[in-house]
Amino acid sequence: MWKILILIGGLSVSALSYAADSNWANDLTPISAQDWNAERAAHLLERLGFGATPEEVQRFSALTPEAAMKVLVDFQGTENSHLAPFDESGVFDPSVDPFPESRPATTTQAKQQGEALGVKVKPKGNRKMQPVVNKFFYWLRASRLETDRLAYWWTNRMLTTQRPLEEKMALFWHGHFANNEEKVRDYRKMQRQLALFQAKGTGNFRELLIGAAQDPAMLAFLDAGVNVKGAPNENFAREIMELFTMGVGNYSEKDIREAARAFTGWNYEGVEFKKIDAKHDDGEKNVLGRKGNFDGVQVIDIILDQPVTAEFVAGKIYRYMVRQELSDATKKQLAAVLRDNKYELAPLLKTIFMSKDFYSAPSLATRIKSPVELAVSTYKKLGLNEIPGVPDFNDATEALGQRLFRPPTVAGWAQGKSWITPGLLLERGNFARDLLFPNINFLPPDRYPDDETIRIVSAKIDQGLDITTATKPEGKGMGGGGEAMMSMANSMADRDEDFNTRYASFRGWQMATEKVKPILRRTAQLDLAGIVKSQKLTSTTQVVDYMLARFLRTPAESADRTRFIEFLNNELGTDKVSEAETYLEEPLRLLLHLIMSLPEYQLG
Amino acid sequence: MNNDKYFGRRMSRRSLLGAGLGAIGLNGVRMLGVPLALGQVAQALAADEASKDRILVVVELSGGNDGLNTLVPYGNDMYYKHRPTLGIKPDKLRKIDDHFGWNSGMAGFEKLYKDGKLAVIHGCGYEQPSFSHFTSMAYMHTAAPNSGEEYGWVGRLGDVLQPKSAPNFIVNIDATQSLAVKSHVHVPVVFDEPERFTRKGSFQEKPLFDAIAVADNDPNPSRAFLRTAAKSAIDASALVRDAWTRYRTPVDYGIAPMGLNKVSSLIDAGMPTRLYYTGYRNNAFDTHVQQPDLHGRLLTYVSDAIMGFMRDLERIGKADNVAVLVMSEFGRRVPENANLGTDHGTANYMFMVGKHVKGGHYGKPVDLANLDSGDNMIHTTDFRRAYATLTKGWMGYADTARMFKSDFEPFPIFA
Repeated sequence: MWKILILIGGLSVSALSYAADSNWANDLTPISAQDWNAERAAHLLERLGFGATPEEVQRFSALTPEAAMKVLVDFQGTENSHLAPFDESGVFDPSVDPFPESRPATTTQAKQQGEALGVKVKPKGNRKMQPVVNKFFYWLRASRLETDRLAYWWTNRMLTTQRPLEEKMALFWHGHFANNEEKVRDYRKMQRQLALFQAKGTGNFRELLIGAAQDPAMLAFLDAGVNVKGAPNENFAREIMELFTMGVGNYSEKDIREAARAFTGWNYEGVEFKKIDAKHDDGEKNVLGRKGNFDGVQVIDIILDQPVTAEFVAGKIYRYMVRQELSDATKKQLAAVLRDNKYELAPLLKTIFMSKDFYSAPSLATRIKSPVELAVSTYKKLGLNEIPGVPDFNDATEALGQRLFRPPTVAGWAQGKSWITPGLLLERGNFARDLLFPNINFLPPDRYPDDETIRIVSAKIDQGLDITTATKPEGKGMGGGGEAMMSMANSMADRDEDFNTRYASFRGWQMATEKVKPILRRTAQLDLAGIVKSQKLTSTTQVVDYMLARFLRTPAESADRTRFIEFLNNELGTDKVSEAETYLEEPLRLLLHLIMSLPEYQLG
Repeated sequence: MNNDKYFGRRMSRRSLLGAGLGAIGLNGVRMLGVPLALGQVAQALAADEASKDRILVVVELSGGNDGLNTLVPYGNDMYYKHRPTLGIKPDKLRKIDDHFGWNSGMAGFEKLYKDGKLAVIHGCGYEQPSFSHFTSMAYMHTAAPNSGEEYGWVGRLGDVLQPKSAPNFIVNIDATQSLAVKSHVHVPVVFDEPERFTRKGSFQEKPLFDAIAVADNDPNPSRAFLRTAAKSAIDASALVRDAWTRYRTPVDYGIAPMGLNKVSSLIDAGMPTRLYYTGYRNNAFDTHVQQPDLHGRLLTYVSDAIMGFMRDLERIGKADNVAVLVMSEFGRRVPENANLGTDHGTANYMFMVGKHVKGGHYGKPVDLANLDSGDNMIHTTDFRRAYATLTKGWMGYADTARMFKSDFEPFPIFA
């Protein structure tokens, strides 16, 4: 009872003090211990991490703001040894590294060398290169599925870590140095990159930037491997300046071309950075007004010397943690903190999290959560200690616009309002539905292929059909127009007789699912009735108020609250919890679904 | 408009508009000439009457499509000089005249061009081109290069065509909303998969879902935004889902339909949408490395999908109502790079496709012998001329000078 009062009390105070706090906006001076309360602790945990249960909020509200920073930002002393390392399936074998550009590149190599990916071309007979192409698809699928497992491992850390900022910043950097496994095609590189973000994400930005620029996933993603002396490729240098450090408009095209020369020869081998001196252009470059025989690291240092770089980085962190609107003066102040501390990130983060601005009215409950944050914080607030296997985390967040290790472009995910469309808002409610009432038709996407063609081919092969017949596209083009109605892509499929791509796609999937360890498909272990009981809630009004306070970061509309209480009364057939004790769970889940379907449930 | 037999199911709506559509249209066109004193409302009304049933579909090829290898200027030696390896040999092309030929994967575009339904606009670009995907695309989206404009050109077109907020006027098929459709007045309907554009819930929850209200003066701007989106979802989701569920087509859109089959389903279901925005997403056309196979495949998908869309529109009797614009944020560097690819460039073709499109070449082909200092094309057509062509020539809104803050002369593509 006491906890509810604190929480609900906190909420109403924040609502009342909206006007009072508004002069805190843009004030970067730290809040005092007197200003610290449960409401503000909840806000901090929401932004710095992935939300909290009422019990955790209580624990942090009992500290001073400085002590909270010690645990949450300077977290090196915070115990976290309960987290297990990633349990690899063992899908990798050295013959897939380096992995050819494409299927055509693989078969060309096989034609020329008699083998590729460690598989020999058959001496004679039909589809001589089939095993090679099968192997190609095996690794594509295996790497993808293993990456999905890596995402599960990571989100479980987000949920159970005692150092939430470590994971939150890793997520931030994943969206900043945004690489996609679909192009990298090697889960090991994604794993290594994540480890970099976790290790350096709150450390020194220079080290992080150099680490990211020399990261094999990044080098693969931005085609840096082909950036060589005499033929510089601008992609890498452009993204470093435009997206990672300075932002558009602060450099010239010539700066990019010159910088690209400095990065020539940067490559990777397996999962290690490798500088190939013979391919490095060590001539004089002219970058951002400075001349010299620069290499890549020196160019990075020149970039870090630009005042705009600190502003760009500090501004982006601020917008991620606090709010979209950032005044020029505040941005300059934050940039100064970063520069004065030689690009150490922790002092900047502490300045932000301690500032009155962070707790001012425009900062509170105005941030739209990303899909990953929505899902993890939902689990967190429910008190779960593992990420459920149903619904599938990756599919669920992808439907909402964010799949880990698969950002849409190198610019990462656009934040804020971009997360929301009418369609996606419905999907967010549906995520809650699938969590509270698990879909009985659920099929594990790491076993059952979402690609219909694979399933059809599999069935036809089992029926004993030959490969050509089994892989012939069906359905389309048969309805009237005949051949003329069939698209060029579908009528051209599988003309090459050396191998059959559709068969390889099926076989690759089959081989991958043999090797990749399954994701545990346990549904969320929920006990809402238990929460009501342990909180000693006696009336439906109390239940609704407790759930609203526990799950929403902004007071509910009174009309919604009234409707919820009526709804619960109807479902329970009484307004007294004691009379309904034996059948509480399902009505409570419906209530929670309604709360999680509120537009404001998206706000953190 | 000679295909009324196709409109049997919706005859009531057609007859309501009246047999005199043509006459109203002519009046409407004349009205566009009246002085501004008559006011914006009259103009918007006029535009509406003249082309009330007309629909614009924008297909965006994200990543910077290599125009030179899409419609290849094979008659120009400079092309082969700049692209010794990547240049596509004349015998591999689908030639349309003595100068140009489509990439071999584009059977659909070849047919559309030969049928006179595809217009090629040459050299579309803008002054001081940006080589950043994101910046250049934002310029394309807002039709405001090198200046700040918060709203998208398709959104603003919606504002002038339908100045009062009307549900479902703009549809954007994508995982996230495009800047292009951002509107003062309208809340664009944005969805990816129609079958998922629905709220799951138990029977007894439904009245509560529908009760979401938008407060007048919400002090929390994020909550106000979310509640507005929720309201739009309630208005649109059932329509979209029903349209898609009922839609069956024998037409093959190929491997990547780019959402055009969904557009067909909505048009077929009589959605009041006039502006659709869809495309090939996620920088797919950013072919820095190993371009030929990949690019050829992508072009086949695009060509298949648009050809399929045209066939499907004929099938449902709506081919007279729809024009398609195909665009990308920039073209690619004229000389190939050392990695069998091409880097970010400047000017590019835009394509318009539709039954009422007067096919052929428009604008001046880029001079490949006269590139800028970065080996890039110097654009010959401000891309906003293409937008103005659609705005005035197709959608019937005449004040393009106001829309685009400068007067861009439309091409006679819909004349």
